[in-house]
Amino acid sequence: MPSVSRPFRAERTAAALAALLLAAGPASAEGLAPEAYDLFGEIELEGTGFLQSPQFAGQRRDDVSVAGKATFLAEWAGGDAVLRITPFARLDAADDRRTHVDLREAKLDLYRDDWSFRIGIDTVFWAKTEAVHLVDIVAQDDRIEDIDNETRLGQPMLRVGWLSELGELSLFYLPYFRERPTPGRTGRLRLNPPVADARPVYDTGAEEWTPSFAARFAGVAGDVDFGLSAFHGLGREPALFLDPGGALRPFYERITQVGLDLQYTSDATLWKFEGIHRSGQRNLSFVEESYLAATGGVEHTLYGVLDTPGDLGLIAEYAWDQRGEDALTPWQNDLFLGARLALNDVSDTSALILGSVDLGDGAVGVRLEFERRIAPNLSLGLEAQAFLGFDQSAPFDAFADDSYLRVRLTRFFGLK
Amino acid sequence: MTPLQPTGGVSARVAEAIVRLRALWLAMTVALIGLSVAQIGGIVPLNADARIFFAQENPDRQALDEFEATFNKNDTMIVAVAPKDGEVFTPETLAAVGELTERAWYLPFVRRVDSITNFQHTYADGDDGLVVRDLVPDPASVTPEEAAEAKAIALDRPELIGTGFLPADGTAATGVQIAFSLPGVDQEVEIPEVVGEYEALRAEIEAAHPGVELRAAGIILTNNQFNVAGQEDGQTLFGPMFLLILLIVGLAIRSILASLAVLLMIILSALAGLGAAGWLGYQLNLITVLSPLYIMTLVVASAVHVLSACRQAMLDTDDRKEWARRTLTDHMGAIVLASVTTALGFLCLNFSISPPFRQLGNIVAVGVLAGMLYTLTLLPALITYLPIRRSTTRPAAQALTGRIAEFVIANSRAVLLGGMACAVALLAGFSQLKLEDDFPRYFDERYAFRQNTDFVEDNLTGVNVLNWPLPAGEPGGVNDPAFLAEVSAFVDWLRAQPEATTVTSLTDTIKRLNMNMHGDDRDFLRLPTEAEAAAQYLLLYELSLGYGMDLTDQVDIQREILRVGVPMARTSTAEMRELSLRAGDWLRENAPIAQAAWEAKYPDVPMITPTGIDYVFSLISYRDVRAMLVGSLVALVGISGLIMLALRDLKIGALSLVPNVAPALMGFGAWGWLVGEVTLAISVVLAATLGVVVDDTVHFLSKYSAARRAGASAEDAVRQAFAKVGMAMIVTTLSLVAGFGILAQSGFAVNGEMAELTAITISIALVADLLIMPALLIRLDKRRPSVSKVAAAAGVLALAVALLVPPGAHAQSAQEKGLAIAQEAKDRDRGWGDFSVEGEMVLRDKGGAESRRVFESLNVERPDPSVGDLAIIVFSRPRDIRGTALLTHANIEPQDDDQWLYLPAVKREKRISSSNRTGKFVSSEFSYEDLTSQEVPDYTYEWLRDEPCPNAPSLTCHVVDSFPRNAASGYSRRTVWLDAQHFRFQQVAFHNRRGALEKTLTFSGYQQYLGRYWRPDLMRMVNHQTGKETDLIWSNYRFRSGLREDDFSAQRLKTFSR
Repeated sequence: MPSVSRPFRAERTAAALAALLLAAGPASAEGLAPEAYDLFGEIELEGTGFLQSPQFAGQRRDDVSVAGKATFLAEWAGGDAVLRITPFARLDAADDRRTHVDLREAKLDLYRDDWSFRIGIDTVFWAKTEAVHLVDIVAQDDRIEDIDNETRLGQPMLRVGWLSELGELSLFYLPYFRERPTPGRTGRLRLNPPVADARPVYDTGAEEWTPSFAARFAGVAGDVDFGLSAFHGLGREPALFLDPGGALRPFYERITQVGLDLQYTSDATLWKFEGIHRSGQRNLSFVEESYLAATGGVEHTLYGVLDTPGDLGLIAEYAWDQRGEDALTPWQNDLFLGARLALNDVSDTSALILGSVDLGDGAVGVRLEFERRIAPNLSLGLEAQAFLGFDQSAPFDAFADDSYLRVRLTRFFGLK
Repeated sequence: MTPLQPTGGVSARVAEAIVRLRALWLAMTVALIGLSVAQIGGIVPLNADARIFFAQENPDRQALDEFEATFNKNDTMIVAVAPKDGEVFTPETLAAVGELTERAWYLPFVRRVDSITNFQHTYADGDDGLVVRDLVPDPASVTPEEAAEAKAIALDRPELIGTGFLPADGTAATGVQIAFSLPGVDQEVEIPEVVGEYEALRAEIEAAHPGVELRAAGIILTNNQFNVAGQEDGQTLFGPMFLLILLIVGLAIRSILASLAVLLMIILSALAGLGAAGWLGYQLNLITVLSPLYIMTLVVASAVHVLSACRQAMLDTDDRKEWARRTLTDHMGAIVLASVTTALGFLCLNFSISPPFRQLGNIVAVGVLAGMLYTLTLLPALITYLPIRRSTTRPAAQALTGRIAEFVIANSRAVLLGGMACAVALLAGFSQLKLEDDFPRYFDERYAFRQNTDFVEDNLTGVNVLNWPLPAGEPGGVNDPAFLAEVSAFVDWLRAQPEATTVTSLTDTIKRLNMNMHGDDRDFLRLPTEAEAAAQYLLLYELSLGYGMDLTDQVDIQREILRVGVPMARTSTAEMRELSLRAGDWLRENAPIAQAAWEAKYPDVPMITPTGIDYVFSLISYRDVRAMLVGSLVALVGISGLIMLALRDLKIGALSLVPNVAPALMGFGAWGWLVGEVTLAISVVLAATLGVVVDDTVHFLSKYSAARRAGASAEDAVRQAFAKVGMAMIVTTLSLVAGFGILAQSGFAVNGEMAELTAITISIALVADLLIMPALLIRLDKRRPSVSKVAAAAGVLALAVALLVPPGAHAQSAQEKGLAIAQEAKDRDRGWGDFSVEGEMVLRDKGGAESRRVFESLNVERPDPSVGDLAIIVFSRPRDIRGTALLTHANIEPQDDDQWLYLPAVKREKRISSSNRTGKFVSSEFSYEDLTSQEVPDYTYEWLRDEPCPNAPSLTCHVVDSFPRNAASGYSRRTVWLDAQHFRFQQVAFHNRRGALEKTLTFSGYQQYLGRYWRPDLMRMVNHQTGKETDLIWSNYRFRSGLREDDFSAQRLKTFSR
């Protein structure tokens, strides 16, 4: 049964949106008709095979799934007012929780010279490094979609941006909080017991209506791209505790985080860094602790490898978390080595291999991604993930038997 | 208390400990002396090789070393024989030349002696017989008739005219060329031995032939001069330096014992510096031999600070220990900071590409730090032990500093305005600076060496030769008539250049031999048409050459590389660079065999490049100025950071930048107005002086800051600072200026200029510290920190740095025309503001299979010609890459463009590397460099011809070759057809790095927009190597649709993804 992941008062947002549209749109009635619009999207069929039988009772072995998303786009005032609505839905055979819908985007963007305003739902992604994304905090991670921390849930927001010579300052008011979805009892790639998504505990009385605030200044100075960010509000990353009934329940509390991300571009070599300081967050032992975390590394591209037009990017990164074994993330003392190959052929074939080594307990993760267009509107994707030696790294030992191979066929469509 | 001792008690406690343990310091000093002298033996004798200036990793030096390994090493000496009667071809002069030629063979390590008397005269004898004989067979008994005949023959031989044997015009002097093969085992012995024996020979010949005068020049003498001048510099400058220091210290302190204590200290500091050189394994050279003088000059400043503070303490008490205690408590922090910043500045000389400067930096840094240690330990100990007389009179000069303080306080605004005006006026002098490294002229005219070199270069030939090693590509290849024709054409081209009066090349000899072998028939004064003939002539010629003579200085043993040499006499650095660039261009165009062989041999160096020690010197400043810009910046940041840390005051620290940085730049500007030409020395002065000039600033600011913290107004704080350290600042600066003034007397330009520039800079700095800084403090310290003022200072600095970069070379006529055409095309396409256009790329492989990409291209013009335009490409097809957007900020080559990519799937914008010029753009036949904005300065140009346009024969096209300036380009050249009517690109032929035609791009369907700007509807790129082609179809051009430069920023890129 499809279930909206945590319903929020969409009608309120929609009303506000409509009001703003009327207020900000061109005054004349015929001006309300968009100058340009488009509808486009994709439907994907996904099959996942796990190499080992499930570790926990109730988990289904393999998975088949269908997902789709479509974007409606309309523009006014020569592109200075843009409306985008992108609903997303997934039907999953193995895990009811993975069957979910989400409004990835439902926003109105207004631009006026150096100012920009956004109202509605949107996802935001701040990142410099490849493996671990520390600084990014505004939108919740859609953990049931994928485990690589790159898919986001739509986040209701009011955003004001101001562009200066040096960069852009953006201020976010985030009135509503999205809880992190995780796989359910029958799904793989979950903790044991599965996180009780439906029964979260909040540290605040307003619960998911607790407002959060974020600010970011991102810019470019010569060969350096930098971002300075700050966040105050409900932490997106839940601490977990076992309640007396034996359920693993997420705990959301108010945190304050400041972050710095940097990239220095030197010819074919990119030097990257992300670092944060967060206070108010409980750790794995459920103790509140201020901490620093950082990740950084280098990406070097070899152009035209082996006399082909292809490019090979070599990636080496390291991630560190002051909390060590108490970190909520597995990436507290880990080294990442990888390579990204872009064949630069007619089919845009690309592949990524990224290995991670936990320098503490020796757990090794290997991830392989491959993508190739096989027809003008059809893409084939492969994704493989291996967890090696995870048996010792609690609580992520729950993933120890979850190495998988995933095949994805995506059909793209559009009005134009 | 100064803020340098925030707890106040720390310095007092340290001072107390120093005074209490004073016996220990004497013992420690002895130990340090031992440590210093332990390895000091290794630093002598002086390294007498001109090449010390080049590090092993210097690419120019590597090219020179390789050249010398290929051809016989160029250890030559040219002895000019100058007859007083002004005619060489007289019996008497020829006898002298003959005797010199004969006896020069007995000099040590001699390999070969050439002169007009033993010149190998070849001529035909009967049927195809070749006679080779000395031009003057018996010089000792020449008749006037024989002399006249020899003169007639000699003047007919281009090999003799202007090549060092005879002047380009007339016969007023002649040269005897002596080639040596130095074993190179111990240069310090070999070179003086050769020069010593030559001097003896010279004396004998001048005695036996009173009618002639001998003047020698050459690399051996240059190296010898490096040795001699180093020793002379050391000997002549040390004495005055000691006297001066004693004088200054004596006047300031009025105590002989105290002066002796200072003298002891500075000697020990210098010893420590030299000791460090020993430990580091350095051998002294012409630059580092002066390092003890640098150390002494610098250390004396700290000592004066201590002693003058001591004198103030004397006024209050007669307890010697209390003098030391108080002095240390008050000044320890400032002295440590001043010494550390000085050492840091000198350590930044390690950024120099020239090893002597790196060594100088390290030696002086160690010496200064040792000096600091001695100042804080030994000197106080000596104060307590020695019976220095207590002086209770207030120093008279204090009144002077008081008056300066009042003047500045009353007129701070005028002082600032005046200072700014001076700064602007002086900084304008930057435009007058010209880098000029002519290394024989590093030595000034007081040296006989310089006079002789000038004589030889003015009358005979350049002493130093610019050599082009032209590769033929294969062993024996030099005999190939096609290659010889290339070389011969190059020689002719060179002879037509104003910088090259004479050119030596084996092709002249071969032509001559060809004529001889054809019965001296003038018609055969040309290259043989058969490779065998050339090879045989050379063999025959080599067999008949005298002892020690062979062809290995002209051609390598493999017969693969031919040398073309141009002696350079009094050629400026810029002229030499210019000539080498022009020659490289000419060879690329006209010498395909040599160019191809060169590219195969040195894939990284696109142009055939000459070598020679003069050439290497001429490049060193260019290279070092750039390297030291980084070093100076590091020094600036490090030293400013230290000051800010020490003063714990960001505002005052930032303010201190003005009196610290401006003087060095103003010093350069003053030099530009006064002298103009600078050598290598200029590159290191900024870093070196920065550490020195900050000392006064540090002393002043620490006292000022302390007074402010104690609650004084800015004006009162200035008064107090003047009272406490004003006198010491003036005295130390004067002593430094005087010290560097003495160093400036060095006859070696690099040393002299470095010292002169330093002295100028320090003098300006004193004025800045006494006038500008207090004025700044009074005006700015009252308000919030003024960021704009600091920014203005930084702007001035940046401007100065920009001006330091020397202007580029001039273009030639065909090049000027090519440039003019390219410029016209660009100018006609200026002012479009912005436009967007829809593009479709159709990729077609050999079999005809097609694939398509659709995108929108948005462009904004940046009017500033020093930056490129802005462009965004947003893809809409194939659908899986829909919304992917690429933002390009074009830069002028060779700087990479700045590029960002927006990936809509993860909503992430990412800066990407754009060094991949040659990569295919979305797998099409267009490479990135074909599509990114092309700016006029990215290429050099040469107009070839005008002809009907190949794709539209009714139009006339200018055909222009453009050569990418960036070696990373995938092309060696692009041939561009632009129609003469509208200067539109009609066709471009791309030649790959090997020179082969790779791709052709044809433009069609031009339409005019806004009544002015032409844009094509179709661009077709055909790859001749692979058979693939790409059509780029443009539609729906929209000009001036209101795209803004600001929108083309990395942060706004996502808004273009639709």
